[in-house]
Amino acid sequence: MDGKKSKESAVGGRTITRHEVEDFLYREASLLDEWRLDEWFTLFEEGGRMEVATTDWKGWDSASAGSFMCDDYDLIKARVKRLKSRKAHAENPHSRTHRMISNVIILEQGDKTVWVSANFIIHRYRDGGAYSYVGRYEHVLLVEDEGLRFRLRRSIPAMEAMDAGARLSFIL
Amino acid sequence: MTQLTQGYPLSSLVKEDGEALSFKVHRSAYRSQEVFQEEISKIWGHTWLYLGHETEIPKAGDFKTRTLGGRPLIFCRDSSGEIQVFLNSCTHRGTVLCRHSEGNTKFFQCFYHAWVFSNSGDLSALPGDDAYVDVPEFREAMRLRSVPRVQSHEGFVFIAFDPDVPDLMTHLGKAAHYMSLTARIGPAGMETVPGVQLYSVKGNWKLAVENAMDGYHFAPTHNTFVGYLRETGFAVTDDDQYAYDLGGGHGLLILTGHNGRIGMVWEPRFGEAEKDRTVAKRQEMEDRLGPELAKEIADASRILFVFPNLLLFDLEALTIRQIDPVAADQTSVRAWQFVEVDEPAEVRALRIKTMVSFVGPGGLATPDDIEAYEAVQRGIEATANAADPGFDWSDMSRGMANEQKGNQGRSIDEGAMRSFWRHWAGVVGRD
Repeated sequence: MDGKKSKESAVGGRTITRHEVEDFLYREASLLDEWRLDEWFTLFEEGGRMEVATTDWKGWDSASAGSFMCDDYDLIKARVKRLKSRKAHAENPHSRTHRMISNVIILEQGDKTVWVSANFIIHRYRDGGAYSYVGRYEHVLLVEDEGLRFRLRRSIPAMEAMDAGARLSFIL
Repeated sequence: MTQLTQGYPLSSLVKEDGEALSFKVHRSAYRSQEVFQEEISKIWGHTWLYLGHETEIPKAGDFKTRTLGGRPLIFCRDSSGEIQVFLNSCTHRGTVLCRHSEGNTKFFQCFYHAWVFSNSGDLSALPGDDAYVDVPEFREAMRLRSVPRVQSHEGFVFIAFDPDVPDLMTHLGKAAHYMSLTARIGPAGMETVPGVQLYSVKGNWKLAVENAMDGYHFAPTHNTFVGYLRETGFAVTDDDQYAYDLGGGHGLLILTGHNGRIGMVWEPRFGEAEKDRTVAKRQEMEDRLGPELAKEIADASRILFVFPNLLLFDLEALTIRQIDPVAADQTSVRAWQFVEVDEPAEVRALRIKTMVSFVGPGGLATPDDIEAYEAVQRGIEATANAADPGFDWSDMSRGMANEQKGNQGRSIDEGAMRSFWRHWAGVVGRD
């Protein structure tokens, strides 16, 4: 199937639709907005990774260039534990976030995975400040009978820099 | 002497009382637009400033643009390989000449009237030059404006907007040695990698300096990070951690109980393969540098502050952080990972993962630092013009009794902050 133009993709004997990918991403967005981080963590396969590229990103591998986040599975787990603690001062009290996901595209398929991209706008509010984070996701999702899980969750900010106050103490 | 609206001369914003063992900084030093303007003029206009590292522009024609102390600059390597630093402003009418953040070019062309400058600053073409008298002289007079002073130490490029500053090595003083330690870690040298963390904070630039020189905040502010280290099998202590006044406003924390060091001090989260490599790497360093220097480089973590805007975090791995004041209550930050040239890919990956997990606005620790100094910036509004003016001071007297006895200052005291402020008062208070 011609990857870039397809709406669906046959992986492991079943058909992945854009609708299914959208449902997965929308569910993820609501778990994060509601700070249900333990449930969010189950969206990763064991050994899954998470990356947030820097704003000067030009396609570099996070193993050879700096980034804002390049968490292996243990670090994602540590991040969740930290964010649930009242001693994660940068998120105590929590930021209020409101996520909009759109432009979902199935890019490519592998034997067990599907590559998807999507645009995001995340509004974050804290301490009387309002911050917007705009960018793109490029995820590698493991396809299982019961659904999808993150093998790689990658966020690519579109901004030129993180503006004043716009730190990444939450999950982008 | 310059007076503030509240009636304090600038040099009186720092109040030290040796008998009472009291050291206080007036909070207008973080809030006041007048103080900020004095700093831009007296510090950013007349001191060596960290601009960038030579390895950011490795090839002839490479350039980066960045703003420092409010001035747009071009940091480039010209066609003959020389480092050049220009004001990013067309000599004709002042337009920002280069509007890209980075690239490679032989020429910079102003889009407004199409003047063309070479990457060594010559005005090489201007449309309709027959309308100017004495064209060769005119072209010479209209060369790109170079920053008056540019000097490097170990690849770290500093600039000064004042041609009469003392030489860079005089300015760096004792700090130069600690930069050299960092530069010698890799047998083939050190380099910056792409993937620069660009961010701003809603806080005064001096709060970013204080935070880096303040070991007292580490345990309470970074409770969750310390917990993570413990879980990975590494106990953090604050024993044998000291602060040094290097003179000239420069400061240093030397931390032995703080964390592991990739290739030098192993800890479990680095993995078994790195354990063997650490033994080999230590041997390589001893063979190359001798046992004493290798020990000095490898055995302790260091946080070095070079007045006024360079922080070198020589911890589990290395980060160069440059701070740039935007307004009294806003600071821009740029941070690079600093790595060994030609190290194995798996070590590079470990180094980047480990450092990014700690530092930067997405790390497990830096966001809490940012929260702290942004909270200071908001909180000190409470005491501005307070009914009792005595309320409007911040206290930095921790450890003064020990300091007076001549004991080496602990990193968990506030001695490194005091040495910064004493120097600051001398520079900013001077008319």
